[in-house]
Amino acid sequence: MAENRLLELTDIRKSYGAYQALKGVSLSVGSGEFIALVGPSGCGKTTLLKHIAGFEDPDSGSVAIDGKSMLGVPPAQRPTRIVFQKLALFPHMTVAENIGFPLKIAKADPAEIARKVDQMIALMQLKPEYLRRLPRQLSGGEQQRVALARSMISEPKLLLLDEPLSALDVKLKKALQAELKRLHRTLGVTFVHVTHDLEEAMMLADRICVMRAGRILQVGEPNDIYYRPADPFVAGFIGETNLIPVEILEITATAARIRAPGLEPAELSIPASQLAPGLKAGPALMMIRPELVEMLRDQFGADISIAVEIQEIFSKGGTVQYRARGAQGIELVVELPGSPEKPAEIGDQLRLGWPARQVFLLPAQVPE
Amino acid sequence: MNEDGAIPRTWRDPALLLKALPTILLQVGGFMAPLVLTLLLTFQTTKSFQLQWTWDLATWANIFSRPHYWTTLGHTLVMAGLCVALCLAIAMPVSYALATRLQAWQNHVKVLITFAFLTDTTLKTFGWAMFLDSNGVANYLLGGIGIDTGGASILFTDWATMLGMVYNLLAFAIFTIYLSLESIDRSLILAAYDAGAGKFRTFWEVTLPLCRPGISAGAVLIFLLAVGVFLEPKVLGGGKSPMSAELIRQTFETRVNWPQGAALTLILMLVSVLIVLAFTRIYSTRAMRGAL
Repeated sequence: MAENRLLELTDIRKSYGAYQALKGVSLSVGSGEFIALVGPSGCGKTTLLKHIAGFEDPDSGSVAIDGKSMLGVPPAQRPTRIVFQKLALFPHMTVAENIGFPLKIAKADPAEIARKVDQMIALMQLKPEYLRRLPRQLSGGEQQRVALARSMISEPKLLLLDEPLSALDVKLKKALQAELKRLHRTLGVTFVHVTHDLEEAMMLADRICVMRAGRILQVGEPNDIYYRPADPFVAGFIGETNLIPVEILEITATAARIRAPGLEPAELSIPASQLAPGLKAGPALMMIRPELVEMLRDQFGADISIAVEIQEIFSKGGTVQYRARGAQGIELVVELPGSPEKPAEIGDQLRLGWPARQVFLLPAQVPE
Repeated sequence: MNEDGAIPRTWRDPALLLKALPTILLQVGGFMAPLVLTLLLTFQTTKSFQLQWTWDLATWANIFSRPHYWTTLGHTLVMAGLCVALCLAIAMPVSYALATRLQAWQNHVKVLITFAFLTDTTLKTFGWAMFLDSNGVANYLLGGIGIDTGGASILFTDWATMLGMVYNLLAFAIFTIYLSLESIDRSLILAAYDAGAGKFRTFWEVTLPLCRPGISAGAVLIFLLAVGVFLEPKVLGGGKSPMSAELIRQTFETRVNWPQGAALTLILMLVSVLIVLAFTRIYSTRAMRGAL
């Protein structure tokens, strides 16, 4: 998508006093893309969003939208709109006045504003009788839709979402996530969505950008981030995972030879395509996602296996999670589809196994 | 409790009446009774400074036949209205700066304003009188920067009265407006900027409408207090153009004409209350306009 990059962030640095909020962030977003910025609180994701919106200017680095530098351009003149975490609907204006506000500011013709507001109401599936109500007379989900409508009405190129769904209950959140996805498809607007909810990011985004402590750790498609994380932080942050300490004996162009104490076999070879970039010989981690691990009744069902005792069982309804402990104190989480029969009980001795082609090798530490 | 579980709330419920008794007694004894007595007082006459118990309309006839009382009342209302306008005009930028720009200094400035506010009004007013005197600091300072007033002074004019009133009442406006400005969610301002509004437009469309409750509370407070000032017109205005409160004080104390004083008091109360009611009525209908 190099030919139609809408947003180009280059080496953005920002400090507040002695605190470095952004330590050199570069990211490019294609036109029409849905990108999610995720990370723990304080990682700089909201600060980055404010740089895109124009509420902050970087100490160094550049922000370009559509090939034009946005440095020093105020929020009003950028082709971006932000949906705030707290929605920021104007409490003294009706729903119609709220949605039409950007057009009113742009001095549009009142008839034109009314027409566009009606369009937005239809697009957001809000009832027309809501137009004359005040925001506080609407439910949380409806307020969300009004906030979205207000950001969309002036047809921005880039919609910035600052955790707008974080305050909603689970059911409403699911409904609005589906709504966001639908809007993104119908409007073709580029979405930058800040969230700390990884499931939400996985569900919605074309690409996920994982941040920590003012840096981008990894940018990639949800599946890549999930199964091929760059480091143990990303691996642990996105969903539950098993990280087994191993030692890389030797790395060649095609594969790595590793020693894995406690596993069977104790020495094996992993193809180069399953190694995190920049991996060197020495201590490393073997990652296998819980849903890829199987329970084995005999020793020869899988490439890699380990004898364990089941410690705990958590049923989540559709899936059941087993926590097990094996040799060398290795703890593993297994997630299996739920079934009426129980495949194992607490205290059962059994073998867990997984295919070698589904593991991924990570550095033992997050590179600084 | 009756059979459907609701608490009966009727006048015939003796327990409820008993519970409400202290409030009723306080309201009737402390507020209603003095007002009724004041009204009764206006129908009495005085003879050699002694109150005569009669039933006479002479006081009211006197008041309605003398324009002097009404021009004083009009003067008072104009002064009070002007005082409200000046206080709001000064308090608005001050509170806005306090709430948005001067965040590092906020607490210091608030402490200063509070101290000035808590200092005794009499002291402050006499302070201004000395400051404004023709041989006072004001003229000295003006001379210092090359403006020779020739000993002229605004002391003992309406301007000096207004200065004192604004100075003494300003804090009410600053506090009420500041509080409502501070309670405005910062993200609303950002949302307005993001929607394309400039600083002025944002202030006009978002900040100002949202701090209206503070503005109107401040306006009502200041108006009611300004209608009742007597210290400022006496000390700073030199008593040359008295305002209603000062006139009432004179009528009671100097002229010892209690019926007259009572009537003037009632008129002032009634007119101020009517003005405030009219103001809140207009204000609340305007505020409601957007709602439905």
